[in-house]
Amino acid sequence: MGTSVRLVGRRLWQLLPIVIFATLVVFLLLQLVPGDPALILAGDYATKERIEEIRQLHGFDRPLIVQYFSWFWKVLHGNLGTSLLSSAPVLDLIMQRMPNTALIAVYALVIAAAVGISLGMLAATRVGSRVDAFVTSTASLGVALPSFWLAILLVATLALDLHLFPATGARPLTVSPGEAIRHATLPAIALAVGVIAELARQVRSALIEVLGSQYVRTLRAKGLGPMAILWKHGLRNISVTLLTLVGLQVNRLFSGAVVIEAVFAIPGAGSLVAYSAVNKDYPVVQGTVLVFVVIVILVNLTVDILSALLDPRVARE
Amino acid sequence: MKDKDLDQRQAAGIDRRQLIKGAAAGAGALALPGAALAQAPRRGGTLRVAIPFNPAAIDPMTGRNLPDFDTLYAIFDALIDFEPKTLELKPGLAKSWRFADQKTLVLDLVEGVTFHDGTPFNPEAVKLNVERYKTDPRSNVKADLVTVDGVEVTGRSQVAFKLNRPNAGLPVMLTNRIGLMVSPKLIQEKGPNLDRLAVGTGPFKFVEWQDNASIKLVRNDNYWKAGQPYLDGIEFRIINELNTVARSAIAGEVDLALNLQPQQKAIADRSSNVVASANPSLVFWGAFLNYAKPPLNDLRVRQAMNYALNREEINKVIALGLGRPSSVILPQEHWACDSATANYYTFDLDRAKALLTEAGYPNGLEIESFGWADQVSMQRQELIISQLAKAGIRIRLTPVSPQQAMQSFMIETKGSMHISPAGGFPDPSQAYEALFGGSALRNAGKVELPGFRELMDATMSAADLEARKAAFANLQRFVVENALQLVQYVAPGVVIQSKKLQNFQDNLLTTPKLHEVWLSA
Repeated sequence: MGTSVRLVGRRLWQLLPIVIFATLVVFLLLQLVPGDPALILAGDYATKERIEEIRQLHGFDRPLIVQYFSWFWKVLHGNLGTSLLSSAPVLDLIMQRMPNTALIAVYALVIAAAVGISLGMLAATRVGSRVDAFVTSTASLGVALPSFWLAILLVATLALDLHLFPATGARPLTVSPGEAIRHATLPAIALAVGVIAELARQVRSALIEVLGSQYVRTLRAKGLGPMAILWKHGLRNISVTLLTLVGLQVNRLFSGAVVIEAVFAIPGAGSLVAYSAVNKDYPVVQGTVLVFVVIVILVNLTVDILSALLDPRVARE
Repeated sequence: MKDKDLDQRQAAGIDRRQLIKGAAAGAGALALPGAALAQAPRRGGTLRVAIPFNPAAIDPMTGRNLPDFDTLYAIFDALIDFEPKTLELKPGLAKSWRFADQKTLVLDLVEGVTFHDGTPFNPEAVKLNVERYKTDPRSNVKADLVTVDGVEVTGRSQVAFKLNRPNAGLPVMLTNRIGLMVSPKLIQEKGPNLDRLAVGTGPFKFVEWQDNASIKLVRNDNYWKAGQPYLDGIEFRIINELNTVARSAIAGEVDLALNLQPQQKAIADRSSNVVASANPSLVFWGAFLNYAKPPLNDLRVRQAMNYALNREEINKVIALGLGRPSSVILPQEHWACDSATANYYTFDLDRAKALLTEAGYPNGLEIESFGWADQVSMQRQELIISQLAKAGIRIRLTPVSPQQAMQSFMIETKGSMHISPAGGFPDPSQAYEALFGGSALRNAGKVELPGFRELMDATMSAADLEARKAAFANLQRFVVENALQLVQYVAPGVVIQSKKLQNFQDNLLTTPKLHEVWLSA
């Protein structure tokens, strides 16, 4: 237990430089993107004088490093700033939108874990069979399919033709859970397919290795049934690998949400960051990236702790 | 007595035209009762509208873009209204207006109107709003009021705009941002930043705005136009991806989708659930030219480019035939457009080559241009490049983001051309000034051709509409003859609507007013 606490402490301590570095990189990248936010803020009928006025009003004429640390100082005081485009507080924007992103990401992860791990197990226990060939070839296809293309296909068939699911939008989980799940189903499937493919492939190869090991042969020789070997020994032995893999897929799901949210018109954090980046609304981009960085670090931390609990060797290392 | 009748009609939101229309409709109803009853407005229901742009602000003063009016016109009334199809003026919160002299515009206001918060609409409210628009440091509309020195309250329901120079375009500009009236109580109690608050006198009251997601409005039960609006409310859904907007309409998840492109009409036309339409708009696709430096400082080169363009082909390929090929910046439906010069340049490759030879470029020339990097813009640009190449004009294109193109071409004055849409200006004087005026941002070379200012001034000082039309005809001829733009076509405003939506009418600004629409059962 003491080891786990030390692990958490160490990881949390690592959070600060990572956050500073990530937001600084995002800030500098946004500055590298050509175009002046003052031009966007000045609007369709702007005069040159008005553009200059806006530059001064928002401090765009100050040195970059001053602009960055002025933003970061506010963050340290719990203020993520306000959107340049709409004057809305950035924290409010993130809080409004993150539940929609979290819902489709978690839903996709549940689908992917259930389907992907099952398929991997099925293929690993029937190596060389038609089932194995089907799983491996479908998984390759799943990895290669662009999620936005699949999303459009799902909308065209299941929403527009068969009217089984809504084509666009999201509902709050707290207000109408059933409707929220219904709205999130197609986006979650579109997001999950790539993850299913990845999990199926990895679980298959990890299980094949474990099931082919000498101690499993010994277990078989001692008369243990195939199901018991698979569930008690096979899966337990690949659990750390599986956990790491799932942790990585969470990050992938959050990044995939950027595209999927656009296709399904979901007001989520992904579409927020995409829209803001295009329009150089850097307080929103930085605020949202900050939250994403924290989420990724927390997911990795959780994976590390669970790995340590599942395999004491990890904690010792 | 006559005036009193007029007041009553206007208080009820009925002008002379509507009265005639109403009488005609009444006669029709007597003749065909069943059909007329089917068309009777039905009250109730919430209209779901998909729009691709998040408003910059719901404060008319700090908003920035044309699509902001999708929401602004639902919440705020303007001092002066306009006919949707021609933009000709009609009464709004001002029941009448006149120039007392060239520097004094007098407005007689409708009485008995209140803002959504109960504050009375009166001359003091007009004065406060205009002063705010003119002096607030955050105001994006100061430039619209440079000719206005101030507003004087000249009666119980009358104001006078005092000008520092003639501006016949001011009444038109009062249909736009500077004419939208915000509650004085809101300004005084919640100002100065009202970007996310809105209290007007319009048909709908603001309820909630979830940034880049949705805007909710409810019916203003005390609306001054009797009986209107018919809807209980409007829910705007902001969907940035245009094809997703179209899918949302086809799936029946919204009743109306605005500000779309021709490609979405093609998608919607395949569905029987919805009706898609393409209407003329004030936006045109063209190319800004820097005529302060070679080679475009030579009129013959600019004219050669205009003759080398096959506008019909561009419209057919890029706008799917839904735009209107044109050589001028205004659509022909607009009152200030003179159809005599609207198609001044017809495709003539030989003439283009001859002009280039005459200008000293017998072997053609190279022109550096900026353009947008999105897929449809790239298709458009490739087509333009291939057309101009046939005349020997080789375009070296740099595709970038719209902001970068604007910065490089207009501010840093790089390159000679910028392929881009433009337009949407409420008053044509504003449009000509913003595009070709000597200090205009979009006039990259900052050169004002001799004769332009006199023609511009004539449009500003014209005594009446007919005189203004004549002045604009002259100005349009000047601009087109001097080939100051490379206009390709008037962009279509594409709308998808459900069959339940009734009495919907788009306008040239492509920001329709929704107080007269209703949803059938």
